[in-house]
This record gives sequence, structure tokens and C-alpha cells, in this order.
Amino acid sequence: MMDYQHQLKIQAYLDGELSGPEAKEVSDWLTGQPDAAALMTELRQTGEALTGFEEGLKLPESREFFWSKVSRGIQIQENRARADAQAAPVGWLIRFRRFLMPAAGVAVISLLALVVTRETGGGPSNPAVETSLADGGGVVYHDFSAGATFVWLSYPPDSDSSEEDDAGSLDQ
Amino acid sequence: MITSRLLSKTTVLAWFLLAAFAGGGAVRLCAAEDLKFQVQLVWATDDLKPPAGKDYKPVDPKLKSQLRALKWKNYFEVKRIDFSVPAGSTKKIAISEKCELDVRDLTGSNVEVVLFGKGKEVARVKQALPKGEILVPGGNAPNETAWLAVLKRIE
Amino acid sequence: MSEADHSSADDPTLVRAAQTGDMLAFEELVARHRDKIYARAFSMMRNEDEAVDLSQEAWVKGWQRLHQFQGESSFGTWMTRIVINLCLDQLRKHKRQRTESIEEMTEESGGVERQMPVVTINPTARLERAELRARIDRALGQLSHEHRTVLVLHEFEDLEYKEIAKVMECSIGTVMSRLFYARRKMAALLADVKNENWK
Repeated sequence: MMDYQHQLKIQAYLDGELSGPEAKEVSDWLTGQPDAAALMTELRQTGEALTGFEEGLKLPESREFFWSKVSRGIQIQENRARADAQAAPVGWLIRFRRFLMPAAGVAVISLLALVVTRETGGGPSNPAVETSLADGGGVVYHDFSAGATFVWLSYPPDSDSSEEDDAGSLDQ
Repeated sequence: MITSRLLSKTTVLAWFLLAAFAGGGAVRLCAAEDLKFQVQLVWATDDLKPPAGKDYKPVDPKLKSQLRALKWKNYFEVKRIDFSVPAGSTKKIAISEKCELDVRDLTGSNVEVVLFGKGKEVARVKQALPKGEILVPGGNAPNETAWLAVLKRIE
Repeated sequence: MSEADHSSADDPTLVRAAQTGDMLAFEELVARHRDKIYARAFSMMRNEDEAVDLSQEAWVKGWQRLHQFQGESSFGTWMTRIVINLCLDQLRKHKRQRTESIEEMTEESGGVERQMPVVTINPTARLERAELRARIDRALGQLSHEHRTVLVLHEFEDLEYKEIAKVMECSIGTVMSRLFYARRKMAALLADVKNENWK
């Protein structure tokens, strides 16, 4: 019986994936190898059987019904794009003291609220930020001057195993 | 039949080469341009050096400047992953053993990013992320340090 | 462009019209290519509802991205790429959610296809096309989604190994192994056709 690598080479030869010298090598080897020739025939016949398979598959909805769904989908996307472009400014920003606190050993967590920050114009430096946090202790802060949005999480959770988890998350 | 299959494959290959990014050399199945992103896993600390035995490099000055809202003095790059997202599609990136990001391209320069911790969704953010700006999921780590996953568009 | 003009126009003409916002031209393109797009989605997903939904999503994306289509391939090929990407995303979501079965793990590790005896199928000589299609359909449903995807991308989409490897984010060696397994399993399943129908 042929080894597996020879079998894969026959497949690659059939698929035209071998370079000139490799293809010649396989072609020469195939001569006088009835097992190999039979395998090649089987692979080719499988391909031939699959030819045209998809032609018989029809979308099981009428032209009008399917188009009504597509056009509705297009309309929804266009409405969404218009809404994003015209997003009105919402001007509340909550200060996150923990980011601005002096360093050196004082870890005070005073997360006040979840923030969604928006500005006029929707230009590149003023993104509309939408967030949802499964993490109840998480906050979002956008530094406009730096072009940075921070999504600060309490994950890993403050549990007995959290220190090991933290080490694991940084250990590369 | 093999010749006709070769020609057909050659035509398809030529099509893909036209669609490939300059310099990337990557051939992707894409009807539109792939979008290139980078995520850096960063360790934030007041220590001057990374932990013993770890070859973490300080982040570049531009990034450090963008992190100025945070309180730490030093930021070290733990890992960097460059990846592509086919237009309109989603890409999942494992940034650590327990943390993964799903990055989805939306219309314009908008992206939707879902952060998974231990396989569960912990945060979902949808915003514009033009080149030059960063999106930084992060959290506390032991010993007054923190981890950051700095995501940015690089093309 | 009138409705009669749309139905007689070629694809490039309709695409140009649609790119200027002519929705009727786009509708004509949808009508012409919807079966092909659906067929590709169904081959990959093996679920009619999902295939319809993904086809619909592909057409919406096609409209959004139409300005990026420059005629470097046929429009049908371009749309097929979109639906394939959507299917691959969906399959990756499925994979995250499901537990891999023992059977699939065995398929992945491979081995059985190397020892399978060679079969002769050649069913087209004696078989109704509809019956053959039904057999192929059932056989495709018996493959894991990784094996089916590589088979679809190679046999229906005519991608080369390295292109499939990029799409499936695996090595060329893995593509070759999966393709070999898929073909041999298909052959074995279709060989039953011969046994039943040729006396």
C-alpha cells in the first residue's frame, strides 16, 4: 500500500499544485503503479461527480419576497448610517478619579457610572462611542486630545484566584 | 481537464493578487479590501524594568503619550499581533490565554470590538477608530500594575 | 434605464447603473445571481434558513460595497466571495459555541482515509442527475464543516491550496489532509450508488 505522503502527492498532482519537476516525478512514478493510478481515477471521478451539483440548488423564496427582504435590509443599513452621521452631541463626562490620582501605592477605586460620550459632527477625532459592559464595575473614558478610548474593567474579578489569573493573562 | 482547471485557477489567482495589499504579499478571499489592525498587550507599572526573566520592551513614545490619562509611569509591550479583517467581517484574536477580542469592521471607519474573558463576553464597544487613534480595554493587575490591550488601525 | 432595458442588459452595465444608485438595476442583479449565491451558502452551511439569511446579508453587503467593485472579476464571483466570508464567520461562531464531537476529533486527526480501498464511482453513466445530486447532498451533510468547507472552496470555488489555507487560517498541509479525507469519504458514500443501481 502507498504511504500517506504519496497519496497526498497524487492528489496534488491531480489538482495541478505541483511544480514542474515534482509533477514529472509523480507522473513517472504513476506509470507501473496500479494502486496509485486507481486512486487518481477515484479522486478525479469524485470531482466529476461534484461538477454541477450546485446548479440544481434554488433559493426557496420568490423573487419578489426575497427582494423585499434585501431592500428592507439595505434601507435599515442606510438609515443607520444616516443616524450615525447625524448623531447629536450628548455632553456628559464623568471624571474617573482613579486615572488621575497620584501614584505611589494608593489604590482608590471610585467608579461612578457608565459613560457614553458623544460630540458634534461625528468627525474622526470625535467618535460616537457605544458600549455595553457585562462587567458592572467597568467604565469608559475617552481622551479626545490623545485620541484614546479606555474601557476599564474590573476583570479579572476580585476573587481569591484573581492574582493568579492576572499573572496568567500577562504571562506570555 | 487539468489544463482548464489550471487556467481557471490562474485566473482566480490573478484576481486575488490584484486585490492583495501592497507589501503584504497575503492573498485573501475578499471582495473588498482587508483592513489591517494591530493589538498590543501592554503591562502598565511604576517599576523601571519588567519582571526578571521577561524581555518586555518599553512602548514607543507616541503610544506612551496617548496613555497619559493613565497614572502609571512605564508601559511595556508584552505581545504584539498584526492582523487583517476582511471588510464587513469579524476576526477573533487571542491576546492571552484567557482573553480574546472580536474585531468587526462596520461602515466607514467604525468598528465593533467585543472583549471575551475566559470565553465570556465582558465588554462590547462600537465606535469610529480612524488611523492614529487607539481603543484600550484594560484592567488592574497585581502589585499596583495593570494590563492593557491597545487596539489600533494600521492601514 | 427601463425595466425592459434592465432585463436585457449585461452584468457590467447593470453594475454601473447600480453604482449610480439605480436600485432596479441591483434588483435585476439579485434576481440573476440569487440562486448561485444561495447555493454556495447552502453548500457550506447545510441549513436552508441559515443559507437564505446569509444570502440576504450578502446582498445587503454587496450593495454597501458596490462602489468598491471595479470589474476585476465577474460580479457573480465577487458576490460569491462576500457570501463565503459571511459563511466562514458564521461557521467560526458555531465552532465557538459547540462542543466538538468525538467523531469530528477523529476526522480531524485523520487516518482512516489512508487505508480505504479505492472505489470506482462513475455514477453519471447510469444515474439520473437528480438522484446523484440527492446522494451528493446527503454525503456533504455527513462531512464535518471543516471538511465540507475545504471541499466547497476547492471543488466549487476553484481555489488553490494556498488560497484555501489563507481563508481557513490553517496550513497548506492541513488543507491537503482535509481535502483528501473529504474526497475519499465522498467517494465511499457515492460508491453505494453504484452498488444499488448497477446490477
